[in-house]
Amino acid sequence: MDELELLKKDWQKKEGMMPKLSYDEIYSMIWKKSSSIVKWIFIISIIEFILPHLLYLLPSVREDMGFYEQLGVKNLMIGISVFNYIVVFYFIFQFYKRYREISVLENARDLMRRIIRTRRTVKHYIIFALSLFLFSFLAIASVIYFSDGEHLITVLNLDDEAKDLSPGRLKALISFVFIIVGILFTALIGLIYFLIYGLLIRKLGRNYNELKRLEI
Amino acid sequence: MKKDLEHKFVTELEDNQNIVHKVCSLYTNNRDAHNDLFQEITIQLWKAYPKFRGESKFSTWMYRVALNTAITLYRKSKKQVRTQDYNDFIYKIKSDDYDETQEQQLKLMYDALKHLGDIDKALVFLYLEDKDYGEISDTLGISEVNARVKMNRIKKKLRTIVNP
Repeated sequence: MDELELLKKDWQKKEGMMPKLSYDEIYSMIWKKSSSIVKWIFIISIIEFILPHLLYLLPSVREDMGFYEQLGVKNLMIGISVFNYIVVFYFIFQFYKRYREISVLENARDLMRRIIRTRRTVKHYIIFALSLFLFSFLAIASVIYFSDGEHLITVLNLDDEAKDLSPGRLKALISFVFIIVGILFTALIGLIYFLIYGLLIRKLGRNYNELKRLEI
Repeated sequence: MKKDLEHKFVTELEDNQNIVHKVCSLYTNNRDAHNDLFQEITIQLWKAYPKFRGESKFSTWMYRVALNTAITLYRKSKKQVRTQDYNDFIYKIKSDDYDETQEQQLKLMYDALKHLGDIDKALVFLYLEDKDYGEISDTLGISEVNARVKMNRIKKKLRTIVNP
């Protein structure tokens, strides 16, 4: 006999050996909470959307507005914020729309594709948020670099520290620090985000690629 | 009204629970994981049940949801102890039905089955459940030709394992 036919026959005989759950056991299960990947993606994505905006609620970050005003970049920062919020709402809308389209009743390939698409929206949001973050730092750095040195010393309260440095060198130093901090922060947050992203989507991506490979 | 739906669902699932158990036995290695996956599949079935309009048989509909959950939605919970001591029921082979060679062959094939990738498992599972290639390709979202090609490759692989 063909080995696979043997396996098939044996497999079908296994019916009787499977565990048997009672009506009550199954009934209690339908009220349990799902721990599916889709639910995790939803929760984590929402946190990722909200978290950067919670920072603005901290008093120290709010006081920064005064600092930006003195530096003369207040309008620039307000402009960036407005642009930021418009784009963020667009991303949240896209995310929600795609999330709603996920259905367990689709075939395996379409289900995976929809989940990956939903999560990809978050990836694009993250890339956007990080770019804007880095851009803000670079913008401030260049404003400082091209600003009036004496004025800068008063704004930043650097009278004591500035004694040994010429205003020109001080400006260069401060904008350099801004650029470095900006790059480091962006890299760090990006690393954390993409680590989470990769972990969440790893198994899914592997299976999806395997299905896709079948189509070649 | 809601109570009716609950009752109808649980009764149908109780009658067809074998399908879910078989999926769980293929995709997990111990009793805890088996029960965990069973529960997640039940939740997904129940969530999708209002959309089940009886166009197909309840059991047909279950295959898709159960496999989708096992392959895509299910996240192994970290709490599970990863023990292998649980003597999985799919390995239990009744010796009086087979001669020694067949018994050995079956054991090797079940072992090999456990080591297949998630997608390959789904293909073999549907094949063992006597589904035709049309249904297999519908469930997985690949073409019928590709389902056949892939299945033939897996068959070949299993044969070489049994007859090295």
